[in-house]
Amino acid sequence: MKMCNSADVVLQEFAAGKSQETSFNRVEKQKIKCGFGQLGVCCRLCSNGPCRITPQAPKGVCGATADVIVSRNFLRAVASGAACYLHIVETTARNLKSIGQNKGKIKSEKALNDLANTFGIEAKDLYDKAIAVADKVLADLYKPRFEKMELVEKMAYAPRYKKWKELNILPGGAKSEVFDAIVKTSTNLSSDPVDMLLHSLNLGISTGLYGLTLTNLLNDVMLGEPVIRQASVGFKVVDTNYINIMITGHQHSVFAHLQDRLIDDDVIEIAKSVGAKGFRLVGCTCVGQDLQLRGEHYQEVFSGHAGNNFTSESLLTTGGIDFIVSEFNCTLPGIEPIVEEFMVDMVCLDDVAKKTSAEHIPFSKDKEVEISQTIIEKAKDSYVKRRGNVTIDIPIHGHDDVITGVSEKSLKGFLGGTWAPLIDLIASGKIKGVAAIVGCSNLTAKGHDVFTVELTKELIKKDILVLSAGCSSGGLENVGLMSPKAASLAGDSLREVCESLGIPPVLNFGPCLAIGRLEIVATELAEALNIDIPQLPLILSAPQWLEEQALADGAFGLALGLPLHLAISPFIGGSEVVSNVLMNAMPDITGGQLIVNDDVISTADVLEKIIIERRKSLGLAVELVPVNA
Amino acid sequence: MKRIKIKQDLCMACMNCTIACMAEHNEQGKGIFDLDLTDLKNESRNHISLDSQKKPAPIFCRHCDEPECVFTCMSGAMTKDSETGIVSYNEDKCSSCFMCVMSCPYGVLKTDELRNSVVIKCDVCDGREIPRCVENCPTGCLYVEEVGVCL
Repeated sequence: MKMCNSADVVLQEFAAGKSQETSFNRVEKQKIKCGFGQLGVCCRLCSNGPCRITPQAPKGVCGATADVIVSRNFLRAVASGAACYLHIVETTARNLKSIGQNKGKIKSEKALNDLANTFGIEAKDLYDKAIAVADKVLADLYKPRFEKMELVEKMAYAPRYKKWKELNILPGGAKSEVFDAIVKTSTNLSSDPVDMLLHSLNLGISTGLYGLTLTNLLNDVMLGEPVIRQASVGFKVVDTNYINIMITGHQHSVFAHLQDRLIDDDVIEIAKSVGAKGFRLVGCTCVGQDLQLRGEHYQEVFSGHAGNNFTSESLLTTGGIDFIVSEFNCTLPGIEPIVEEFMVDMVCLDDVAKKTSAEHIPFSKDKEVEISQTIIEKAKDSYVKRRGNVTIDIPIHGHDDVITGVSEKSLKGFLGGTWAPLIDLIASGKIKGVAAIVGCSNLTAKGHDVFTVELTKELIKKDILVLSAGCSSGGLENVGLMSPKAASLAGDSLREVCESLGIPPVLNFGPCLAIGRLEIVATELAEALNIDIPQLPLILSAPQWLEEQALADGAFGLALGLPLHLAISPFIGGSEVVSNVLMNAMPDITGGQLIVNDDVISTADVLEKIIIERRKSLGLAVELVPVNA
Repeated sequence: MKRIKIKQDLCMACMNCTIACMAEHNEQGKGIFDLDLTDLKNESRNHISLDSQKKPAPIFCRHCDEPECVFTCMSGAMTKDSETGIVSYNEDKCSSCFMCVMSCPYGVLKTDELRNSVVIKCDVCDGREIPRCVENCPTGCLYVEEVGVCL
């Protein structure tokens, strides 16, 4: 079978040796793309369609131009992406509320107090505080569109809040904003491309502050705050002496009870009764990154992060996975035939990620004891049924020295409780600037993780420190760029910094949700320098963006005023207005800018140039300080 | 010669061949993202029409063995290459009488939309190994067949 390349050579060779078809194979059969779709000018909103724009047919039947069709399609995609993240934060807040009501486990009182302070909550009792925090978040999400959300001002950097107010893009109730985005883009409703693009930015703000940032912070309360540590990654983390449960999704709090329960003595006894040493959670997709990020608190139950979204199919072909629990994307449809062949049973805890072959057990915090017990029994049964009947082949794949647990707080703590050391390194030019390489992995930007890895290598060569969050980090850590030894791949100046601190040139913030943590880092750096975010020598790139959620993240990046690079066009090329607004006019609107470039070297040059220009306007040295200076 | 052939039953009217042709002949660059779909300069050398049963019918230049367009051309703009079999159009020699357009039995030849002064004609992508339309056909409706040159 033909297959695409992966930056992860060991993974590619392993996949090539297997007979099961995966996404790596299917992408070869899907190589021919529809040009109208790529340019975003196909409209299926009514039965007069599908209409496509050509020079001879410049309008759809209804009269919609390319600008209208592209902007409608774009806003719909952003709205869907925003909806996904808002679903996640809603679940997360509901779980925290339930912990408060049932006096459950709060793992970081500090994280709860920090949130309560930000929100202006004065409750004394810890559980009352948890309820009040969760209620604040939920109340905002459920507001109508004509009532602005209250936490935006408390969460956002003041100059940004002011800018958003000026632009009239402060979001009303987040779910209502998504709802009306769907209304607006339906048949014969809005035909104003600029209004639809501004609505996208509005959705970006609620995605970023609630879907991303608050999900992280609420999870920190329930699951513990990230601690910087060394960890193992790759397929090697799978230990076949255990009953291995692979998890897929984005909603870590849904596993909170299960992951603690799996290491209780009576549960270990259940595993022992069928010949295993115990139960292990094997990380895969973003929720695996979440577990890895908070791995300090889960050393016994968490075996490590195996890989990102498009690694999941191959991970199953190792035969080492005994059971799957899913609760969100990226749970690829492609795993289903593999699961069947390898006799792996599946449970889905949230019907938004329901797989045909999975049993749906709707998660509710009130029933978590019972649900965990069911999962444990089913995982044991699956283990008993399959072991001995399937081939197990775990390749030597991965690294043991990956630095994880990096967050806005743990990194600042590492630097001595202040951003001053990082700012000094940037000011002196030892670190030229910061690049946030985020988002997903796809198979079309040169192959699995290929663009992400190549771009990251180019940037660190240019002494640009890379921070990563999302499936991009799963790829980067599996190729070794998040191990301290990767310092040797950086430019002389960045290399010296990394070696003296014992850190890799690419720092792992964890799941895509942690793009929200990167936003906090950017905000705090800007605050420390008393400038606005668009002035920072910081760029954002989601080179291998995959899904609608990534476009909602991207809209947040643009609202924050960051230059945002994508290797693949978000299907806007067919509209001059949309392309112009996002790529040329955005610097004067929010300070952000969309850059679409599918060439690694020229992308790295363009991003470096932006960083250098920002350094110049801040009056920082542009020529780099010689090594050892 | 290489002739672009068609299995009509496989055509889904996706028009990928049309957009591929436009991209291949775009002076601004050949990538799909270089293509301005509002610019009439970008014209396709093929098109999809509906036959009498309302089924999509891809209309492509066959570079005919007995090319009416060449026979009716008085200025020498249309010629058939005796070695490759390709029927080529030379814009500089064209006197814009459009006898070729009228005589084409397949209705594939047409004048350019903007000026109505030249003919839009397939050049089999000027030596490209696989014509761009064939490469971009997702259903296998279009394919290339080696046929003998009959003169």
